[in-house]
Amino acid sequence: MDKVLVFVEIKGDGPRKVSLELLCEAARFAQNGRFSVEAVCIGRLPDAARDKLLSYTEKLVHFTDPELAVYSPEGYARALAGYAREGGAKMVIAGATGIGRDFLPRVAVLLETGIASDVTGANWLNEPMTFVRPMFGGKVFAEVVFSTSPVILTVRPNSFAMGEAQEKGGEYIEKTAGISPDTIHTKVVRVEEASRDTVDLTEADLIVAGGRGLKAAENFNLIEELAGAIGATVGATRSVVDAKWREQADQIGKSGKTVSPKLYIGAGISGAIHHIMGMDTSKVVLAINRDPNAIIFNYANYGIVGDLFEVLPAMTQELKKRKEG
Amino acid sequence: MDILVLIKQVPDPEALVEIGSEGKDLNIEPKFAINLFDEYAIEEALKIREAHGGKVKAITLGSAKAIEALRTAIAMGADEAMLIEDEGFAAGDGYNTALVLSRALEKEMFDIVLCGRQAIDADRGEVPQMIAQFLGLPHVGVVVKLDIADGKTVAESAFEGAKEVIEVALPAVFTAQKGLNEPRVPLITGVMKAMKVQIPKLTVEDLGLTRDMAGPGGSKTKILQYLPPKKRPAVQFIEGEPAHAAAEAVRILTEVERVI
Amino acid sequence: MDFAFTEEQQFFKKIITDTVDRMVVPKAREIDEKDEFPWELWKEFTRLGYLGLRYPEEIGGMNADPVTAMIFYEQIARGSVGFAQSVIMNILMGTYFVYRFGSEEIKKRCLYPAMKGEKITTMCFTEDQSGSDLAATRTTAVKDGSEWIINGTKMWITNGPHADVATVLATTDPSLGARGLNFFLVEKGTPGFSPGQVLDKLGCRGTVTGELVFDNVRIPEENLLGAELNKGVDYLAEILDEVRVMTAAMAMGIAQAAYDEGLEYARKRIAFGKTIGNYQLIRAKFADMATEMEASRLLIYSAAWKIKEKLPSRLEAAMAKMFATETCLKVVDEVTRIWGANAFANEYNPQRHFRDARFLLYGGGTHEILKDFMGRMLIGKA
Repeated sequence: MDKVLVFVEIKGDGPRKVSLELLCEAARFAQNGRFSVEAVCIGRLPDAARDKLLSYTEKLVHFTDPELAVYSPEGYARALAGYAREGGAKMVIAGATGIGRDFLPRVAVLLETGIASDVTGANWLNEPMTFVRPMFGGKVFAEVVFSTSPVILTVRPNSFAMGEAQEKGGEYIEKTAGISPDTIHTKVVRVEEASRDTVDLTEADLIVAGGRGLKAAENFNLIEELAGAIGATVGATRSVVDAKWREQADQIGKSGKTVSPKLYIGAGISGAIHHIMGMDTSKVVLAINRDPNAIIFNYANYGIVGDLFEVLPAMTQELKKRKEG
Repeated sequence: MDILVLIKQVPDPEALVEIGSEGKDLNIEPKFAINLFDEYAIEEALKIREAHGGKVKAITLGSAKAIEALRTAIAMGADEAMLIEDEGFAAGDGYNTALVLSRALEKEMFDIVLCGRQAIDADRGEVPQMIAQFLGLPHVGVVVKLDIADGKTVAESAFEGAKEVIEVALPAVFTAQKGLNEPRVPLITGVMKAMKVQIPKLTVEDLGLTRDMAGPGGSKTKILQYLPPKKRPAVQFIEGEPAHAAAEAVRILTEVERVI
Repeated sequence: MDFAFTEEQQFFKKIITDTVDRMVVPKAREIDEKDEFPWELWKEFTRLGYLGLRYPEEIGGMNADPVTAMIFYEQIARGSVGFAQSVIMNILMGTYFVYRFGSEEIKKRCLYPAMKGEKITTMCFTEDQSGSDLAATRTTAVKDGSEWIINGTKMWITNGPHADVATVLATTDPSLGARGLNFFLVEKGTPGFSPGQVLDKLGCRGTVTGELVFDNVRIPEENLLGAELNKGVDYLAEILDEVRVMTAAMAMGIAQAAYDEGLEYARKRIAFGKTIGNYQLIRAKFADMATEMEASRLLIYSAAWKIKEKLPSRLEAAMAKMFATETCLKVVDEVTRIWGANAFANEYNPQRHFRDARFLLYGGGTHEILKDFMGRMLIGKA
């Protein structure tokens, strides 16, 4: 069986969602019996995170060297590459997170192989396997094939669906990589957690924007609440800014900001060309408008024809419910 | 401080990119620019030189056309530049690019290597870390602040919003992120110098490599074909009462589109 | 034949395009709306050193050849015509005669600061009743001992109200017509020299244009900018072609700015279920615009090359000016059609380009005059 290593990343008390997504996807493509999957965790691993991981994998290998307690690209790369080499792994996969993208290229060099970064799709069962990854900011995708082994990948979060946790727990193995302190030349002095300040519109991945359909400045709280529930940035149309309901900095459009988020939710926005020219490169667009003929629906993936005063709070409610659930 | 800046000439962010016949190649409007993140790297190198002395050398791997990117670096204030001219390697995978550049770096004296955090054409973000590994050097990625004082080098790395403050031993590789600085606009004196400067060229053979290493047989990964992004399909209306439609919308965004 | 820019020129084009995109383009709308001289941008931009473009390196210039200069004029006009007019005035017409004939003292006082943007210059040709018809110049210069006394009123003076340094066309003897014309240097603060009416213009807003009044302005003998008396027309001929081709280059700058707006709109605006760039009538517009712009540029850059090579260029410069202007007028018009009613809204750029382009019809000579002149050159005096 070909061994597949999934590097799992811990955030707070639990594994990151992308790590679980990758374990679920690996379990799916391993069903044909060709692959055996191991999760590899380096450094800090709280009990809760370990238990959760064990319900998603049959084997969890944990490197516990004190030198690896804190992330360092040099240390992590040596540990992961060393383990991959030792077990003859055919594939090493990590989430395309900040850390994953930071040290997996080093793993590739240590194993004298290539890497496909920020992968968004895969044909695991093709011979040879192929991977799809974006280029030019998503204007084009490339289908990549490896001519060397092992295959090293970083996979973009949300590319693969989550699966169900398993009842029976997997095997847990602690190991040391034997990293000596003098091989690590960086030292983390301190970590400042992300502030809760929202991201600027032009860089936001998630945007909730409102238009004149909100009827009054104070009704923007509906937009803000939905944005708050998903960590999105609030945007506005020009007419709303002209009416002084929102600040100029919130304006999306030809004479405002050009945005390109992964998700754009527009409520009470008719779709004036001014606004469209600032947002039409958004990846997924959900429009909410009472008028089924509103132009914004021409530029939307999904539409809800309805009263935003009912739809927006209901969405916020549903999101909260899901979070708690 | 001797600083090497590794830059890449990329298609202009506004350039039209279309997939050629059968997906085998890309037709890209011939408008070029220095990779955005590399401009931050150049600017930071110039600032370090202004504060600590030394020299700044810009290096690129590319076609003959890429000399324009090096001239821009000179116009901004870099002291020297060098082109490693090889279209095959330039179009190759991250591993080969890093291999060539690390071979070139082995012949240089330096304290700091600065790169952009990723090139906006291939969007790989692999090469600087690979170079660091080839050379056995530390690196700090996605740097938004770099302080060098009293023999200590401290970088702030912005990983997904959180900021890590990292002390690093030189020589080291840093990858520049937006926010690190505001790249300067070249003065005409710099532009004139850049127009006249003779930029030395190297071939991959000069670095002990052979061209076939970048060929189909030599690359670690290769691109089989290019695929278009999914076109936005016609709008799909989510029907039902507001509460139901809202719940369904959240479900679609979470489970189908997986954007939240 | 070789139609390519040199590697140096290509690089220069890249740098100036980026510089304009970064510094000028974001300010263009505000410059137009406020219609005030953009002092802050002036300081930021002139610091880069481009005002010395045409002058020798020894005095802090760039020694750019005419082809390179045209690349610059085209790009700066693409950014903002209002700003470009002021910049180009300091680069070319406003400083040329000071550079050519000024004493070292005068150069120190007027030229070198102008090359750094510390002084604003202007060239005063036009009067209320004379423009293309220079021989009708009524401003007079009368010698009084070791001084010249200037009297008259100039109109349509670019940078006029802010000018520190003015090159003034005046006649020493109206009966001599064009053969009585000379250029004189008048500096701000000279008694009798004052700005008059400021014009409220259709386009090129941001450049302050207006009247300059000369009321018994006394200037020293050395302020006559010419080696010989009454040879002003010959000296003017030295830069006339360059000025005309420069106007043509500005036309391409405006045309390109408008064209780019049109392109963006054609790619994004949906009508009848498709982006309008899918319709043949819209595609045809781009085919025509791009073709005529290419033809204009060939005229512009071949005329500039002739000037550089010191080959005869009078006819070619006039052709380039006229053709590029007509092309620009067509492009700005077509773009307003592509934009539909949105082109009529002041919040978008197409209306600005439409207004700005009109100045090209007058700057550098009206086409009626140019055609007459060209016809005369081609047919002979008959």
